[in-house]
This record gives sequence, C-alpha cells and structure tokens, in this order.
Amino acid sequence: MRTPQLADATGTGTAGLGNVIEVGGLRQKYGDFEAVRGISFTVPRGELFALLGTNGAGKTTTMEVLEGFAPATDGTVRVLGLDPVRQHRELRPRVGIMLQEGGFLGDLTVAETVDLWRGLSEDAGRPVTLSGGTELPGSLTLFGRVRGVGRATMGALELVGLESKARTKVRQLSGGQKRRLDLALAVLSRPEVLFLDEPTTGMDPEARRTTWQVIEDLRAGGTTVLLTTHYLEEAERLASRLAIMHEGLIHTYGTVEEVVAGSGDTIAFRLPGTTWSFGDLPAPDGVTPTLTYADGGTEVVYAIAGGQPETRAHAALRPLLAWADEHGEVLERLAVRRGTLEDAFMRVVGERR
Amino acid sequence: MRTDVLHAVRLARLDLTLVARNTTVMFNVLLLPLLMAWMFTQTQTGADIAGVSGELFVLTGVPGLMLGFAVFINLVNSFTARREELVLKRLRGGQPSGPAVLGGAALGALALFLGQVVLLAIWMHRTDGVMPANVPLLLVVAVLGVALFGLLAAAFSGITPNAELAQITVLPVIMVMMIGAPVAYPADVLPGPLGVVSNLLPVTPVVEIMRTAFLGADHVSGSGAALGMAGQWVAALPSLGILLAWVAVAALLARWLFRWEPRHG
Repeated sequence: MRTPQLADATGTGTAGLGNVIEVGGLRQKYGDFEAVRGISFTVPRGELFALLGTNGAGKTTTMEVLEGFAPATDGTVRVLGLDPVRQHRELRPRVGIMLQEGGFLGDLTVAETVDLWRGLSEDAGRPVTLSGGTELPGSLTLFGRVRGVGRATMGALELVGLESKARTKVRQLSGGQKRRLDLALAVLSRPEVLFLDEPTTGMDPEARRTTWQVIEDLRAGGTTVLLTTHYLEEAERLASRLAIMHEGLIHTYGTVEEVVAGSGDTIAFRLPGTTWSFGDLPAPDGVTPTLTYADGGTEVVYAIAGGQPETRAHAALRPLLAWADEHGEVLERLAVRRGTLEDAFMRVVGERR
Repeated sequence: MRTDVLHAVRLARLDLTLVARNTTVMFNVLLLPLLMAWMFTQTQTGADIAGVSGELFVLTGVPGLMLGFAVFINLVNSFTARREELVLKRLRGGQPSGPAVLGGAALGALALFLGQVVLLAIWMHRTDGVMPANVPLLLVVAVLGVALFGLLAAAFSGITPNAELAQITVLPVIMVMMIGAPVAYPADVLPGPLGVVSNLLPVTPVVEIMRTAFLGADHVSGSGAALGMAGQWVAALPSLGILLAWVAVAALLARWLFRWEPRHG
C-alpha cells in the first residue's frame, strides 16, 4: 500500500500527484433530472474541502459519485488516482464515509456496531488503531473497564463522546448521537480520504464543537477531507477551500478568504434628518449608497465590492470622513463590516431564485 | 477473495445474532415451518407412499418448505428492510463488497436451514429410527437450494417497495411451493398438467434429492427403489441439472431486479 507523501501535505497547487480528489466536468443524471450539471474541482492531499449549498444543490450526489455508489453520467472522477466505481475494491480500505443519514442496525448496541465495523475493517487488512488526541490513553483506563466492551471500541466511542452510550441500542439514540456514532465508524480505520456528508446536522453546540475538533485533528494528521454542510460557520472554521453549489453548478470556488473577498465590504452610518438624497452624498469609486429613512434619521449603506480587498474599506472611508468634516456632519453609529461567507452564499443562492 | 469470505462469515454471524434477538423472525423462520411439518405429517398418518410411511415421506420433504420460510421469506424481509433503512448502502459503502454482503446473508440463511434439517433428522430418527443415508448429497442440495432461494429473495426484494409489503410479495411463491412441491405426495400423482408444472418448479428437485439422500432410495423417479451411494448420485443427476438451471435463472433475475438503495425521489 502506498503511503502518503508528506511533501504534498501543504501543497496548495493543483499538480496531478498531490491531488487526492479530482473531479473534471462531472455530470450526474437521474432519469430526466440532472442533479449535477458539469462541475470541476480538485482537493490536494491533507486539505479540507467544503461543498456548500442549499438542499438539492447536488452536494450529496457529488459525494456519492466520489464514494463509488454510482458511476458518473459524464466527466472524470478520481480518488487517490483511482476510479471510485471500477477500482472500488482497492479504494475501499483507504476511504472513510459518513453518510447523510441512516444505515444502522437498530437492534445492535452502540459498542456492537463499532465492533462490527472494526471487524470488517480488520478483515480487509486495515487494523484499527486508536485515533484522535494524545489524551486518549489516560482516559481509557477510566472507561476501558465497561463490561463486554473492548478498549479499542471504547476509544472510538470516547473520541466522539459516546462512551456512556456503549450499551444502548442504536435504535434509541438521538439524531445527533447517531451522527457521532457515524463519525466514529468513518474514522475508525484512519482513512486517507474522508467523506463527510453534513456531519453535524442535528448535533447540539457542544457535540458540534467536539466533532469539529475530531475533524481538525484528522486533517492535521494528513487525512484529506471532503465535507458538505449547510452551516456556513462550519465551512468557515474547517475548510481550506470551499465551493458554493447551486442547482448542480459550482458558482463560487476558492479559499474562505477569496470567497469572502468576492462578497465585498459594507460601510454603514446614520445621518440626522430625513432630507438626504443620493446627490447629497459622496460616491467613493463610483459607489452610490442605499438610503433608508427611519425614526427621524437616514440610514446610509455603501456596499464596496471592487478594488483591493485588503484596502478598499479604508480607501472608501477617507472621502466619506472628508465629506463629513466639510459639511459639519457626524457619521453616527459608523460601522465598517467585512463581507462574510453568508453574504457570498446569499448572493449565489439569492441571484438564482 | 479472502477478504470477501471473512466479511461474509462475519455478516452471517451478525445475521444469526439478530435473528436470535427478534421474536417475530424467530417464530416465522424457525417455529412456523416446524409447526407446518407436524400438520403435514398428520394428513398422511397410516398411509404408505412410494414404499415409505406417510410420516417419513412428509418429513423428508419438509426441507423444501423450509427453504420457503428460513431462506426465502427471511431474506426478502431482510433485504427489503435493510435496503429501505440504508443498511445495504452503508455496508457496501464500507469495507465489504457487494458479493460479500449477499454471500453473508446467504451463509446466515444456510446455517438456519441446516439447523432445521438437523432438527428434522433428529425427529425422523426418534419416530422412525432413520439415519440420513447420504450426507454429502444432502449438503450439496442444501447449498444449491439456499443459493437458489437466496437469489430469488434478492430478486423479489427488488420488486418489494417496503418491509410491510414483503408479506404480500412472497405470498405467490409460498403458495405455489405449498401446493406444487412434492412434500406430502409425489409430483406424479398430481393430475396431468399440474404434475408437469410441479416437476418444473425449482423446489421440486430440492425435495426429491433431499428425500433420496435421506432415505437412500430413488425418490427422484418416484419408484422408491433402494439405491447405493453411487446410484443415489446418478438418480439425483437430472434433478441437480434442473436445480443448476434454476440457480442460473435466479441469478439473472437477481441481477436485474435487486437494488442496493431505495429509489431516488
């Protein structure tokens, strides 16, 4: 088995060998419905790539093609340089998958489920090692004694905070707990590539934080991760790069910084009185503000998208302050806000609605 | 290949564990066929069929019915429920390959079926003092029978939308098996075309070979003449051929109809 080349771990280029996931011109049809309509992206080794989008954007379909559940209708797809459908057998032991939902045997306990997966993994020549932080062995001595539950299984459960549920039937777990069990199974064999389909849906904030930590630790250990999510915060925190999908196409693609930069900055303030109009106010770089009249004042908002992302807010502020000095006005409640991922997301999704 | 076998054995053990935990399945799969075996024997007490007592004739034929329950109904239920609950998808997306998942299910069903055949053998020994004459032939026909009905179950699960409806989709097969299989009477006593149909059913060769292997007498042609080991194999040969043909047909049907995932949308 080929071991990961550490030299590629920090690579951000798109050189062939460094890319663990390669998607080129992927199209996927179900009958007459085209769920994915020609997308391309690459994920270098050790990177976490997030697919963002609304329901029905084609994220899960893309994942399923990469996971080898269905052959691509058109285009090329490679994972670790292998065809996910035709070379599934070689690929399988090196990949971890967290499905969006379901797929557990309700009559098994949590520990039995992990045992089953551990066994299947060992049968495939992929012995399970404890994954996660260095604090694990210490706490294991505490929890390793649960009757009838092995240490490796306990370690896996501890990783996702399910150790107290070891002897609970899977049927009785909450949605968030099932997600955590799913994560434990996906990372059990320390996969080289991890597919996570909405990993934190239904989790409480604490569990979500734990899950993020697990994902970050794995990525730091060299695992390449492809993740879909509805939560922008999640993508912002975890992703090296991301793509915003809508109706089967990728609309925005890049690092979080790049995507956010594209969404522009906002300068907002309030002027007393409701007699202001566009002509009264300056237009830095040709940008005219939007005005809202309320409570005897005028809310002024400039959306600045052009220019250098690093300096444009500063550059726009200068003429505004000069104007205020000149006219003896005060820009009340002055706020400069950088663009957010949400702005970028809403722009993609909103535009097409 | 080795991995597939290991996976199949592990999944078969899992299936047996889950059957043992599920009272409904335990009843349907294990108890019901034994109950029916007893009922069938009651219809033939005192009669003499093809040179053996009616009771023994029925008991040696009952494994045919058990294929319907322990294998066919059991697997249609399990394939359908697991497909709809995305268990099949998850398993195949994990380490095991498709053949390993299906092989595991068949292996688990084979274990259940053989367990029931052993129970029947004990029953026969206690009531009639009969020991199985040809164990290798019994095993061969058990493996082929389970393969056949496992594949048919895979195919039927494909046309079963959900686990509740499985009760209905298995019904035609079970009805045909209960009426047409030569469990309580030889196929040839059925009038004209029915006899021909019975002889063509996939369960018929299984029953006839089973009976021949249990009793060491020719129950394929229906003469009931005692046969040596070699004679039993020779007598079983045409039926084994029919059985193999059926396995091939069932494999094609399974390939065509079986689904790993619920339908999209």
